[in-house]
Amino acid sequence: MKRFSKLAVPYIIWAALMLVLPMALIAMYSVMEPGNSIISFSLTLDHYIKFFTDPDFLLILWRSLLIAIKTTIICLILGYPAAYFIARSSEKVQNILILCITIPMWINMLVRTYAWIGLLSEGGIIQRILGIFGLGDVELLYTEGSVLLGMVYNFLPFMILQIQTSLSKMDHSLLEASADLGASPAQTFRRVTLPLSLPGVINGITLVFLPAVSSFFIPKLLGGGQYFLIGNMIENQFITVGEWNFGSAISMIMAVIMMLLMMLVRKIETRNQGGKGAKA
Amino acid sequence: MEEKKLIEFRNIVKNFDGQIVLKGINLDIYENEFVTLLGPSGCGKTTLLRILGGFLDADEGSVIFDGEEISKKPPYERELNTVFQKYALFPHLSVYENIAFGLKIKKMSKDVIDQKVMKMLKLIGLEGYEDKNTTLLSGGQQQRVAIARALVNEPKVLLLDEPLAALDLKLRKEMQYELKRIQQEVGITFIFVTHDQEEALTMSDKIVVMKNGEIQQVGSPEDIYNEPANRFVANFIGESNIIPGTMVEDYKVRFDDITFDCVDFGFKENEPVDVVIRPEDIDIVDVKDGKMTGEVLSVLFKGVHYEIMVETVPGTSVTVNMRVIRNQDVKSEDGKEMISANDFYVDIDDVEELDDKEIIALSNAQAWDPAADELISIAKVEYSLEKEEGKYPVTFSTSNGTSIERNIYVVDQPFVKNEKANEGVMAFNFFKTVDEITESQALDTDLKTWAGAQGWKLSNEDESVDLSVDYDFEPEDVKEGVYQITFSTTGREFKIHTTDYTEEGQEVGLTFFPEDIHVMSKEVF
Amino acid sequence: MKKKRRTLGKALMILMIAFFYLPILYMIIFSFNDGKSLTSFTGFSLRWYQHMLESQDMMTALYTTFSIAILATIVATVVGTVAAIGLSSSRKVIRNIMEQVNNLPMMNPEIVTAIGFMLLFITFKVEKGYVTMLLAHIAFCIPYVMLSVMPKIRSLDPNLADAAMDLGATPFKALTKVIVPQITPGIVSGALIAFTMSVDDFIISYFVTGSGVKNLSIVVYTMSKRVNPSINAVSTLVVVIITIVLLVINLAPVIAEKRVKKGGAVKRKRWVPAVAVCCVLVVAVAALQRGGITGKDRPFEGQTLHIYNWGEYTGENIIGDFEEETGATVVMENFDSNEQMYIKVANGEAYDILVPSDYMIQRLIEEDYLQKLDKSKLDCFDKLSDAVLGLPYDPNNDYSVPYFWGTVGIVYDKTKVDIEDLEREGYNIFLDQKYRGDVYLYDSERDSFMMALKALGYSMNTENEAELNEAYEWLVQCVETMDTEIVTDEIIDNMAQGRKALGLIYSGDASYVMAENEDMGYFMPETGTNLWSDAMVIPKNAKNPDLAHAFINYASDYDGAYDNSSYVGYTSANQEVMDDLSGEGGDYEGINAYIPRTGNENDEVFEYNADTKKIISDLWSRVKIAASNAG
Repeated sequence: MKRFSKLAVPYIIWAALMLVLPMALIAMYSVMEPGNSIISFSLTLDHYIKFFTDPDFLLILWRSLLIAIKTTIICLILGYPAAYFIARSSEKVQNILILCITIPMWINMLVRTYAWIGLLSEGGIIQRILGIFGLGDVELLYTEGSVLLGMVYNFLPFMILQIQTSLSKMDHSLLEASADLGASPAQTFRRVTLPLSLPGVINGITLVFLPAVSSFFIPKLLGGGQYFLIGNMIENQFITVGEWNFGSAISMIMAVIMMLLMMLVRKIETRNQGGKGAKA
Repeated sequence: MEEKKLIEFRNIVKNFDGQIVLKGINLDIYENEFVTLLGPSGCGKTTLLRILGGFLDADEGSVIFDGEEISKKPPYERELNTVFQKYALFPHLSVYENIAFGLKIKKMSKDVIDQKVMKMLKLIGLEGYEDKNTTLLSGGQQQRVAIARALVNEPKVLLLDEPLAALDLKLRKEMQYELKRIQQEVGITFIFVTHDQEEALTMSDKIVVMKNGEIQQVGSPEDIYNEPANRFVANFIGESNIIPGTMVEDYKVRFDDITFDCVDFGFKENEPVDVVIRPEDIDIVDVKDGKMTGEVLSVLFKGVHYEIMVETVPGTSVTVNMRVIRNQDVKSEDGKEMISANDFYVDIDDVEELDDKEIIALSNAQAWDPAADELISIAKVEYSLEKEEGKYPVTFSTSNGTSIERNIYVVDQPFVKNEKANEGVMAFNFFKTVDEITESQALDTDLKTWAGAQGWKLSNEDESVDLSVDYDFEPEDVKEGVYQITFSTTGREFKIHTTDYTEEGQEVGLTFFPEDIHVMSKEVF
Repeated sequence: MKKKRRTLGKALMILMIAFFYLPILYMIIFSFNDGKSLTSFTGFSLRWYQHMLESQDMMTALYTTFSIAILATIVATVVGTVAAIGLSSSRKVIRNIMEQVNNLPMMNPEIVTAIGFMLLFITFKVEKGYVTMLLAHIAFCIPYVMLSVMPKIRSLDPNLADAAMDLGATPFKALTKVIVPQITPGIVSGALIAFTMSVDDFIISYFVTGSGVKNLSIVVYTMSKRVNPSINAVSTLVVVIITIVLLVINLAPVIAEKRVKKGGAVKRKRWVPAVAVCCVLVVAVAALQRGGITGKDRPFEGQTLHIYNWGEYTGENIIGDFEEETGATVVMENFDSNEQMYIKVANGEAYDILVPSDYMIQRLIEEDYLQKLDKSKLDCFDKLSDAVLGLPYDPNNDYSVPYFWGTVGIVYDKTKVDIEDLEREGYNIFLDQKYRGDVYLYDSERDSFMMALKALGYSMNTENEAELNEAYEWLVQCVETMDTEIVTDEIIDNMAQGRKALGLIYSGDASYVMAENEDMGYFMPETGTNLWSDAMVIPKNAKNPDLAHAFINYASDYDGAYDNSSYVGYTSANQEVMDDLSGEGGDYEGINAYIPRTGNENDEVFEYNADTKKIISDLWSRVKIAASNAG
């Protein structure tokens, strides 16, 4: 099939232009003095210094990471049992359930998030239901809770689908082998099912954590104006403040942090896989 | 060696979606036995094993293990371990961790585990592999790890579910010895499932032959090989010549019109039986010394021995002419109908039995609408036939009056008799168009139909004999003309394994000892 | 034990599915709500659907969403498949590098990818719009297609193509007749993923779009601040479309199978019906969208007017009427803040009309972004209120024609707030612990600083850094101790619903709130306020100044101005309209917020100063961060 290798050439050029160059531009803008054009520019690390010396910015970053971590943990806690349940169902039920979970994903994320505004707002259905239990005064919208809810709502399906895939790919005879060797169902779960579903869990974590850290419309829609995350900060720099260089620097910082975190997670994964060269 | 019953299956019945997979299995397995469940796929052997392992529940019956009913116990409480078909090694654990899995579950101390695992690694010859990733091992190595992982728990019984199926031939042979050695070394019961008779014969102390959810025969490899209980077992275990015959009386069996002495008894007088003679039990001798004689058909060198086919009873054959003719479809005047038919031959004895339907069938008369590609029924068949040899016209027509005329040849067709083989064969010449031949989906069968070819036993005209067809044209590019078609029966062939070379085409005698004749009841379906 | 666990799992599953579908169900139900409320269902009606069909914005967005999704899917699928085939036969080094490159959009936070695209288009001066959005969509879809095609290619027999060519196929034939059919499942699932990603995308589209091109996500995002049940209607429409597509995909094979059983040989191509449905939909939406009047002899037939205006700042009919009268098409793009608008304009995006505020007009004039109005083409000045003409930012109205004007004040709930507190404390009521947790701030740096500066007794145009810092401290104290919520236009509906006691608000929004809820009042502290005005200007790079002038006339004229002011609630610059609306029987009769205060010497008009702007900008984002961190 060697003769087809030429077919890749156009795409390589395209990818260089549309995928690599933009990243290079962000990196470049992040070290440029404001107002410089790309033909003549002077380098500066001011933007990075500005970010890292300001405790407020760092706090925002920390809070963004924290809420993403919370989202990921909640998705994991809710998603794993759901995925486990789906994977243990008959094939027909599995297909139906997966369809049930994927259909909402086909509907615009923003639209679905928008719907939560009405549900959570004061006097809305949820508050009225809570009111029955005497919790009517609890403020729901524009709180950290509502942002968390929006994120879990939007990203939970990714977690479920990833874990479910890895669980249903698992050879059933491994579970039998474990039982055969004397492991009770609980032990089998802990020693075989869980470690073997780890690649799915890792993928799920990636797919939840990544958008959760950088999301800006969920906090904006459900968190109100005072709920500011790193994504909002970047949006702000580009859309309202117009300091692209600083915005690019924040983007770079975020991209690098993400990359490091993902590498860390993968490392944990490979360590857990025991031995070298484990295949996912 | 066999002392104590370890496992008893009592009337095990199992259904899958209404399909009965096990039809009431009763089986005892003793301590320290190497037992093989042997049978073709779908015979229920794996199901039985999985019921014993606890991965499936039987619908009926009980499993008694060491005197205790265990049907309701979950797998992890059973004192037996399994080596799975594709090993089911945990991919996230190293070799060491895989083997130690069961011990860790039992919460054994670290050094005891260490000791046991090392001992196992030694037993399976994989010392130094403990930290390897199992997915990177070869098939044979994975196999050994799976065995070690099971054995390290010191089960009373080891279940092996076709463990060698995924290995290549050479490795499989090696593992067969290896398994036998391990079994002898650890001294526990092995229950081994396979569909490979050779594997079963090599390793087992006891073989259980299964088919369609039923046990066919239980016995030592020698028993099973030499005294198969029925045609199925004989066929499944090794190669055999299986000949239908009759038990004339005790110690006397008759087949191919010769009565032989044998060692079997206890059948009814003149009971139809199957006779098995193993290929290696037959010797080729001079014609005068043979109990039977025949012609050597083929000699195949098989490495250690020759496989020689000897025809003791020749086949019967008849050759007829097939006339391939031009397409002679008739089109109606308005072009809306087409009609076609062929000339055909008919035996003078059959003339009286002919009716319209039969004539249409024999002439393959068809009418159709070429535009819609739909068949039209043939409304009228006109003919006058006499019981005398000759050519008689026949006219087929549709209700719209489109018609075609053809001839019926009445002949006195002789048939070929073969007294020695007790067979008769007959066939007719016939006419066909090129299209009919090239469009045929199953030409051999069609040729038999077209030629009206049939074979039967002279002693019993209702008993038919299979015919094979032989011709020397290429069906794809047959042209108009006359072709010869031969229909023949196979006769009786014996397969013989011998180390002596014999020429093809030579007349030889065959001989065997009375004890080499194994008589079995006819299988009842 | 086992059963129990199963039931537990079932319960969890049911709850989870309920969780997933609750918002969708809610959306569908409320799309039929008669009222505007998002919380109480007042009766069945189709008015929001009608509203949606009439809304050019939404129908265009729907069309944009699906046409981009289909185009991007087709291109991405073809390119992705070809590239995947090419790469699989390339050298390993190249393959690995490309794998990493493809990972960029997938493993990077989406916003980073989006910014990358934005910078790319800006740096190379590609005009942002439909094409850039399409390019970006194609770019992020291709990796997903390749991701799903690659494994299929890898599992192919490597000799397959050689075998085909050995049998006489040309390389192209080998590709299309042998390879592609083998990897079709991968291609189809890749195409489906690409389609989903494209339809669902917001972040990337948001950053790379321009020239008024919006997809559904962007429309929802920019509209979401004000209650607009049409969003529910359009969302329901999307749900219906997607459901149909999914049903067709899932049912078509079943039907095809039945047909096969009957005898006809039908190939099972799941995607054919799906693509067909999508195409039909796009054509339908396009027809709906384009199917307007095609009358002739109108002055600007076939021309396009690009307006960049505040969100929710035009009446219901003015655009349609203007289009009908002139034959032109109006493309309206909305901004949230002057700064957002400024960035786009400074970036060279071409609009015909902008509607910035006073100080921003001053800045645009100073920075030479505006063109002088051709007064011979304008007949509107004598209709406008004197109070909004000749203001300091444009003394002779050489550049601008006022659109709306008003003040900034405090909206308060008369049942919760003692008017005496307000009169005594003025803006300092925002530091009064009595109202802790019951206040809204408005997310505008100028007006927040205006409030703080006025509370402290300074001029809102101060250049004194100490005073600005004092104001900053005041605001920080406010957000840290008062448990405030910083909102933008949500304040309108929330105050109309009486959710909080106090809020800083624009007079026009207050008019709307007071018209909706009579418990609400509007108060302007004696210490002064911002007397603001938003005016229409024509940028230098406008493509159609003539049409822009025509629109300025139209919007300043009685009918246009009435429609605008009556619908939006802001004070019209047209004197007659203002009088009628505030007068007897007018929409805003008796609403003090509608009539801007005149004669208070503490009231000021904003002036632009680049340095203070920067300081305020920076301080305000810190206030927000402080608020965020306090919460």
